[in-house]
Amino acid sequence: MHSNLAISPRLIMILGAGLAVVVIAFVIGKVPISYNIRNLTIRWKTTILTGLAFTLVVSLLTVMLAFVNGMAAMTEGSGHPENVIVLSDGATDESWSTLLKTDLSDVDRVKGILIDAEDRPLCSQEVYIIASQTKKPGPGQPERRRFVQVRGIDDPSIAAQVHGIDLLPGGSWFSEAGVEGLPKADGKEQETAVQTVIGEGVARELGKDLHKERLQPGDVFELGPKKWKVTGVMKSSGSTFGSEVWAKRSYVSLLYGKETISTISLRTGGAETAKAVATELTNNFKKANLQAQTETEYYAKLTATNKQFLFGALFVTVIMAFGGIFGVMNTMFAAISQRTKDIGVLRILGFGRRQVLVSFLLETMLIAFTGGVLGCALGSLAHGVTASSIISGGQGGFGKTVILRLVVDANTLAVGMMLTLVMGVAGGLLPALSAMRLRPLESLR
Amino acid sequence: MQYFLTLERFLRFLKQNPQYGPPMIAGSAGVLLVLVFVGYWFHKYWYLLLKSLTRNLLRTGLSALAVFVLAIVVTLVWTILVVLDVVMTEKAKDFKAIVTERWQVPSRMPIAYAPSLKEGAASKPGDLKPDDNMSWQFYGGTLDPEKRTWENTLFFFAMEADKIIPMMDDLENLNPVYVKRLMENKQGAILGRERLKRLNKGIGDRFTVVSMSHKGIDLEFEIVGEFPAGRYDSSAVMNGNYLVDAMDAYPTTHNGAKHPMADKSLGLVWFKVPDSDAFSKVAEQIMSSSLYTSPAVKVETASSGIASFLEPYKDLLWGLKWLLVPALLVTMALIVANAISISVRERRTEMAVLKVIGFTPGRILGLVLGEAFLVGGASGLLSAAVLYGAIHVGMGGFPFQIAFFPKFDIYVDSLWWGFLFGTITSLAGSIVPAWSARTIKVSEVFAKVA
Repeated sequence: MHSNLAISPRLIMILGAGLAVVVIAFVIGKVPISYNIRNLTIRWKTTILTGLAFTLVVSLLTVMLAFVNGMAAMTEGSGHPENVIVLSDGATDESWSTLLKTDLSDVDRVKGILIDAEDRPLCSQEVYIIASQTKKPGPGQPERRRFVQVRGIDDPSIAAQVHGIDLLPGGSWFSEAGVEGLPKADGKEQETAVQTVIGEGVARELGKDLHKERLQPGDVFELGPKKWKVTGVMKSSGSTFGSEVWAKRSYVSLLYGKETISTISLRTGGAETAKAVATELTNNFKKANLQAQTETEYYAKLTATNKQFLFGALFVTVIMAFGGIFGVMNTMFAAISQRTKDIGVLRILGFGRRQVLVSFLLETMLIAFTGGVLGCALGSLAHGVTASSIISGGQGGFGKTVILRLVVDANTLAVGMMLTLVMGVAGGLLPALSAMRLRPLESLR
Repeated sequence: MQYFLTLERFLRFLKQNPQYGPPMIAGSAGVLLVLVFVGYWFHKYWYLLLKSLTRNLLRTGLSALAVFVLAIVVTLVWTILVVLDVVMTEKAKDFKAIVTERWQVPSRMPIAYAPSLKEGAASKPGDLKPDDNMSWQFYGGTLDPEKRTWENTLFFFAMEADKIIPMMDDLENLNPVYVKRLMENKQGAILGRERLKRLNKGIGDRFTVVSMSHKGIDLEFEIVGEFPAGRYDSSAVMNGNYLVDAMDAYPTTHNGAKHPMADKSLGLVWFKVPDSDAFSKVAEQIMSSSLYTSPAVKVETASSGIASFLEPYKDLLWGLKWLLVPALLVTMALIVANAISISVRERRTEMAVLKVIGFTPGRILGLVLGEAFLVGGASGLLSAAVLYGAIHVGMGGFPFQIAFFPKFDIYVDSLWWGFLFGTITSLAGSIVPAWSARTIKVSEVFAKVA
């Protein structure tokens, strides 16, 4: 949670500068702020309408950034810097990677790979399948499919150590056999089910089919030509593994006709060692052409969709902000035209042009700030909401389907507040300048 | 959402049936004439509205600008939603269906499945054959194996050249000469404009692809054509037989061993049937056939298949439809409401005078609503027109990759969407201020003035 409250130094500087300008404005401005507040409350309908526009723009920005944040958290949370991921040379993704098992016998002997308490190298050879599952259609809806990511692993205890995955209480890893018999139904042959552990996200998604909040150990679901029995749910929130179904590799290979290995995951002693192991496997491994990289590097490449969504969010926000700026300009120009006489009186009382400018600018900032704070509060309601998306390494739209949690962090709120202040200044400056330029006697006529 | 592309469909219909062109033009001119006549009938009303709007040009301009920019975003987002909705909606006729591997993606079936699948597995008298078909294999690789980048990576649909125009969507404008060249040249390739730009290649250039999808099968190509701007900007099509022949030749250079992809090269088979009954019949023929067991296959309508690939985007699309679009529309309405209510407040005396000289409350209401209608409608229409010009004409589509849709073109229907968004939000925003103008009490206003 602490990391969610961290705020980037650059944002602190920009926000600080913005707030400093506001404070200086207060110092320069001799017109009592109560005057502005009174004016805002007298024109309360217009004030509310303008403020609401700010609220909507900022809340939308917050939600959109929370989505992008969730995707970024997903890619960052999935990779361990000390892990190495090995794909076949040329493969852009696990689903396109094909490694022959016979070529991989020496991979775990590379220097730098950690050994566990039972003297086994922390090397997990995995097959990765994107399985097609028929969704139960709602009333009157056509049949649809969903894609479920299935990872076949040899030894769950090693895979768990390599990927740093634990199970939620009440669950257990699948057995050495990897299958078990289901209770015999009347008059039917006994069926077997593939034992599986599943991620938290996919547990929620598949739970919908059984009208449950999420699948629990003991639940059975259908995937491909077989039934699958959940033995445990992985504590995998915030990583791509949260959207995966893990089972015994031999069964996954058999069911989906993929006898080859997709991925080898290796755990090393640290980030530097991981880089050395990746280089060694890529350049010097003789039995097969491998493409090895640290997991951090691998997941960093899966950010093309994140960048596209970020671009989309910023594009929409900037255009919406222009709408908001024009709206607040309207309000302030109208306020000035109604208060021309007030301005004349202020000037005759001795208030300078600059103080009139600051007074009207502060009034705009007040609307913007209030609207922005409400927008941030409204947008914050999206924090923790789950949503499905895709992370991918290139344009093409195909990648890993992930179930992510929207993250509203301090940076998001800071960006929201910055936007509202920028909109306030941009929308208020021209009207304030026009107020500043009014001549006292002319305005009193 | 199908109705949101009515104009586009109508224009396509006219393009395919040019004989209806002259009567349609005459009809449209007639409707336009009637509108002009009706407009002229109310010319005093329009004059009054314009005079009111031009009295404070700054306010009118700012409101119009706000509606203009917001309508741009709404129209863009709406385009994405409409296009995706249309492709996911089942058609009543001219059904397109796809056959893929049943249990996993990417689909990898033996190429031997293709001939019978294209015939809808029709084997008995009375079995139904599809009207048309095509098969797709996927072949991908890099032009620079030493330094692979996204720019030098290329993925092809390997297919029957003669099926490109009849079977692929939105390729009516593809130059038939390119297709002919592809049919005649086994090494030919047709690429999208953006793809050509990224590769820094043009028609007539040759290159070699070092395969990543079919290891050991590196192929030489000659670019024989380019796709029209839009949906296929990043796509590439090659001759399907070229890949099949290369796979067949592989054992001769590898001690008789088949290529690892030999039984997994077929990605999908498309077929076209006249209606849903025919689809069900052909689907039944395929699903009950014993030819397709390892791997098993699945038949679904194209719209259903596309919808499955869009499933991961469902929450994003929900957010666009139910959060972003309404929020934008509400923001537009708020901004117009603000401007109109300020305007009404400033013109209370004028409204009272109008009442004194005989304007009924209804006419005053109409006057205020009319101002909003003019500002909103004109800004919305202008916004859509600018967007259409910039994106449809200038860019050939808005680049925002969702699944296999790299770009979203702005349709001619966006013109009336923009008008609609502008007018509806402006009218919604001006109802309350217009009602308050209608209920102005003359005595109260003049008492204040006095």
